[in-house]
Amino acid sequence: MPIIAKQCGIKFDPPSVILIYENEHTDKLRKRVMPVRNFSEYSDCSRAAERLKHHPHHAHYLDSVSLEQLVRLYTVLRDHLRGLSVEESLREQCHSHTHEEDLNKFSDEELKRRKAQMDVLFELNRRRRDDPDFVYDLEVEFPENSSREPCSWDQSDEEF
Amino acid sequence: MAGDMKRIPELEQEKYDADEQVKIICLGDSAVGKSKLMERFLMDGYRPQQLSTYALTLYKYTTTINSKPVLVDFWDTAGQERFQSMHPSYYHKAHACIMVFDVQRKVTYKNLSNWYKELREYRPEIPCLVVANKIDADMRVTQKSFNFAKKQGLPFYFVSAADGTNVVKVFKDAINMALSYKKNSSDFMDVVMRELENFDLEGKEESADEEEEEGKAD
Repeated sequence: MPIIAKQCGIKFDPPSVILIYENEHTDKLRKRVMPVRNFSEYSDCSRAAERLKHHPHHAHYLDSVSLEQLVRLYTVLRDHLRGLSVEESLREQCHSHTHEEDLNKFSDEELKRRKAQMDVLFELNRRRRDDPDFVYDLEVEFPENSSREPCSWDQSDEEF
Repeated sequence: MAGDMKRIPELEQEKYDADEQVKIICLGDSAVGKSKLMERFLMDGYRPQQLSTYALTLYKYTTTINSKPVLVDFWDTAGQERFQSMHPSYYHKAHACIMVFDVQRKVTYKNLSNWYKELREYRPEIPCLVVANKIDADMRVTQKSFNFAKKQGLPFYFVSAADGTNVVKVFKDAINMALSYKKNSSDFMDVVMRELENFDLEGKEESADEEEEEGKAD
């Protein structure tokens, strides 16, 4: 049965990876729930993701879901078990590997993938026109430059 | 590329000499959110023109300033920035520049100096606004001072394309600065370009069918 993966996410209770997919023959949308077992806040997310990706029952369905995405989902689950919110987890995931990345040097594929990762946080924080508190021309004043503390990015050897 | 560009009506840059037309360019590394900022300013449903051959996206915008209609062309890169440099025609006749970095990625801040250097090679005098994007990802950055803008004497904005903070303000300020620059322009490069254009016209009488690539930098 050829399947097209549409969306893949994580559920905290009971912990499971959820896949929304389409059966190409019937055009019907289906939901597959893949329980997460033997996983704690100390587990290795990469290994857990790999195990699921190659699981005899699930591998076929997860063919087009990237390992990176599964690792991300497991990390959200692990951070949840550690008491972090989804937002905090995504923020930390962003932070841990983005600071020194020079995306100008990435291939098209890699750049696309990184942009998709960034879009997760963008969509989470996004205010849309139909949100009740939407303001088109939202102006916020921040403290003057002189009253802010210096940023460490300015302290390195290279000068502007 | 230079010669080809002139044959595309959308990229005919002479129009930017008219009083009521300005060109504003966006600069900055890949994935700092340049297009997201444009889309937030122009809002949903807006369809820009993709000129993929030139790795360029054009956003046309009409507004009224001092009860006069003003046409603004925003030029956005579509991957060209990956080569760490833009084609000279990208800068040609620009009246203002919006320079963006991502507060989540230091390298995009460090690269500002390279973008700024290239900008000033082509447009020594145009107003340039420095934009720190994605503050929604970590609001603590707004308590920090980023010295690049201060050192260069450029206006600085904390913005978020996601929640909309200060996006419209940046674009409004950029349009106003572009217009006032245009009004009071004494940019050396403008003068040189005009001289070269005149020179081209005179030259044409003698060699009508020769392609003049060198004189014009567009």
